[in-house]
Amino acid sequence: MNRHFILSATIAQPELNNPAWADSVLNGADRAGIDLAVLGAPGSLPFDPMVIAAWAAPMTQRIGLVPCVSTAVAHPFHSARSLSAIDFLSSGRAAWNPIAGAGHDNIVAADMVSAARSLWDGWASDALIIDKESGRYLDGSKVRLSNYEGPHFKVRGPLNAARPLQGHPLLVADASAPFDVAGTDLVILEEGQAALPGSNCLKRAGNSPDLAALVAEFEAGEIAGVHWTLTNPGDDLREIAEFSSALSRFRQARETGSTLRERLGLPLSDNLISEGAFA
Amino acid sequence: MTKQIHLWAFLQGIGHYPSGWRHADATPEAVFSMDYYKSVGQLAERGRFDSIVFGDQLQSRGANGHTPERVAIPTLDPIALLAAMGAVTEHIGLVATVSTTYFEPEAVAERFATLDRITGGRAGWNIVTTAHPASAWNFGQDEMPEKSSRYARAHEFVEAACELWDSAETDGNAVPVQYRGQHITMDATMPGPALPQGRPILVQAGQSPDGRAFAAATAEAIFCPAPTKEDGIAFRNDMHERIAAAGRDPEAVKIMPGLSFILADSEEEAIAKDEAILDLADEALCIEYLGESIGFWLGGHDPKEPIPFDDIVAGTEFPVADITRMLEKPAASGIALGEFASRHVRTPRGHTVFRGTPQQLADRMIDWIDSGACDGFTLQPAYMPGELEIFVDQVVPLLQKAGRLRLDYPGPTLRDTMGIAA
Ligand SMILES: Cc1cc2nc3c(=O)[nH]c(=O)nc-3n(C[C@H](O)[C@H](O)[C@H](O)COP(=O)(O)O)c2cc1C
Repeated sequence: MNRHFILSATIAQPELNNPAWADSVLNGADRAGIDLAVLGAPGSLPFDPMVIAAWAAPMTQRIGLVPCVSTAVAHPFHSARSLSAIDFLSSGRAAWNPIAGAGHDNIVAADMVSAARSLWDGWASDALIIDKESGRYLDGSKVRLSNYEGPHFKVRGPLNAARPLQGHPLLVADASAPFDVAGTDLVILEEGQAALPGSNCLKRAGNSPDLAALVAEFEAGEIAGVHWTLTNPGDDLREIAEFSSALSRFRQARETGSTLRERLGLPLSDNLISEGAFA
Repeated sequence: MTKQIHLWAFLQGIGHYPSGWRHADATPEAVFSMDYYKSVGQLAERGRFDSIVFGDQLQSRGANGHTPERVAIPTLDPIALLAAMGAVTEHIGLVATVSTTYFEPEAVAERFATLDRITGGRAGWNIVTTAHPASAWNFGQDEMPEKSSRYARAHEFVEAACELWDSAETDGNAVPVQYRGQHITMDATMPGPALPQGRPILVQAGQSPDGRAFAAATAEAIFCPAPTKEDGIAFRNDMHERIAAAGRDPEAVKIMPGLSFILADSEEEAIAKDEAILDLADEALCIEYLGESIGFWLGGHDPKEPIPFDDIVAGTEFPVADITRMLEKPAASGIALGEFASRHVRTPRGHTVFRGTPQQLADRMIDWIDSGACDGFTLQPAYMPGELEIFVDQVVPLLQKAGRLRLDYPGPTLRDTMGIAA
């Protein structure tokens, strides 16, 4: 599959609490061709991003929903369930960006990710049978305890929510609030930071980004796409829409595939599923 | 004016009977898709319900790991679900069950503030303390705190959350809130704007003396079981006394008992329909389900023998007093375990079950209201969405014709709909 040039944007305005504003900006972002809407930013969560992501699920069509999850007060059992719900309700468009809260180091964020994955992996993707005829609802051998014990979190499982449609929602890291865990799908670089080898990096767009230079970096495999922070949504979305159409030859995937992972060409690798898939 | 009926739709995705999903008109696969929630949310709104309610558990059902096979039904996180349903409905309230035992108040306050704002003031919080001991293991604890300390934390938790909501200023200025209790320490700010409802509607569903005291002090609506009209009257009278003693106006608190129902064109047909659904659950499933709800594995017990009361009381994971209260009478009656389990499954908390015609149900509801048994009902369809459709299409018009149910929503918020001032 051809690589897809990813367009991503942070929306962290408190106005996201307002349904009319949220509707117009999120749908505007969807129409502009933005692939990922990061809801909230490190240090700025003037709303609950999980609630906004869930609300946005039926309001939008294709855009990936990336709630920032503060690991200061969230627990993996809750995070894993909310993300599973958002993934189902959005037909496979959920992602997340864990951010360490004040006073917490990035080990907590990495621990949150590992714990949530262990809970998702406690359910095989084909655990549900739902056969009215035989009365079998699920295959008990395909649901198991996680018994996860990390440096910060301990959770037994199983989750009382099914494995997300995408297996695991996309994992996005922000290099300004990093955490170190294997299998990050995308890393948003800091301003001016060089691409990280071996990672799918999103370069922060400054003022009037140089399209040709970005294309060169994309073609060289240094970056997977660009990340904006919406400051003035009306103007920013117009600029991004222009960008998107100028890049149309690298943006076929957006129209095909069903889940966000499929569309962005970021499949879940088998070795990320703890202890392997169920037989 | 004749007393209006408040209606909530308690939408356990799969329906309230463990075998309900096998009914021909049930769509169990659909409960993982937005289309389904959109259609049932709009259906309840068409029926002019006050609110949708989702319960919540913080563990997978499965009698301590013995029997997950048929009762470990996965669900969707209630807040996520209600936020999504809020986007595709306009008026109906959105009541989410959230535990005060396994969350932190600042996170819960922020969650409900966002839900209330993004839905234009339709949020409600069913405050529970979590009953299942297996929940503790999902939060790094070996044991769940005992009930009175869970309720003590719940009091402080709600107080802290309310202070935080009250601190949100319309002009967006955040005032820091410091809360110091025995169970809760919170330093937080709630950036504005103020919530459309000021605070979400506070709902409570506890039965013990501690639970009732908590409800009397905090609740604006109460979800409870009432097996008979007399039980409903006794409960409502008891709560009214407690609410008055707590210095609040009893009439301002809506009592909303659960009501399971099976409807058909005649009473005989409804009974036959009910029996047919119950027959879809074999005895072994019912025993698994009962075992799950009493925290005691019944696998080794003969269904034809009496309820093993002494073994259960000695071995249950739940508070012994609760289990004794639930099983004492049936055990004394000598009913066989299998037979008891087969009846128990449709109403594990002792909610009333109605079988009959839409007209009979409408009459029954009006009679309960006029007798002072309740202010409304938390409807628990046996299977989804078929039974809810029948209710909306056939019972709702009767209630409206009798002048007991609104024809339209009075205002944008759940407080407007329920007639509960902030
Ligand atoms: C009608 C009813 C519904 C309830 N629903 C839930 C629920 O969905 N989730 C939950 O954790 N607890 C639920 N509870 C239990 C509460 O957590 C309650 O705090 C618990 O039963 C212990 O207190 P109690 O003995 O006072 O009822 C419910 C209780 C009642 C009576």
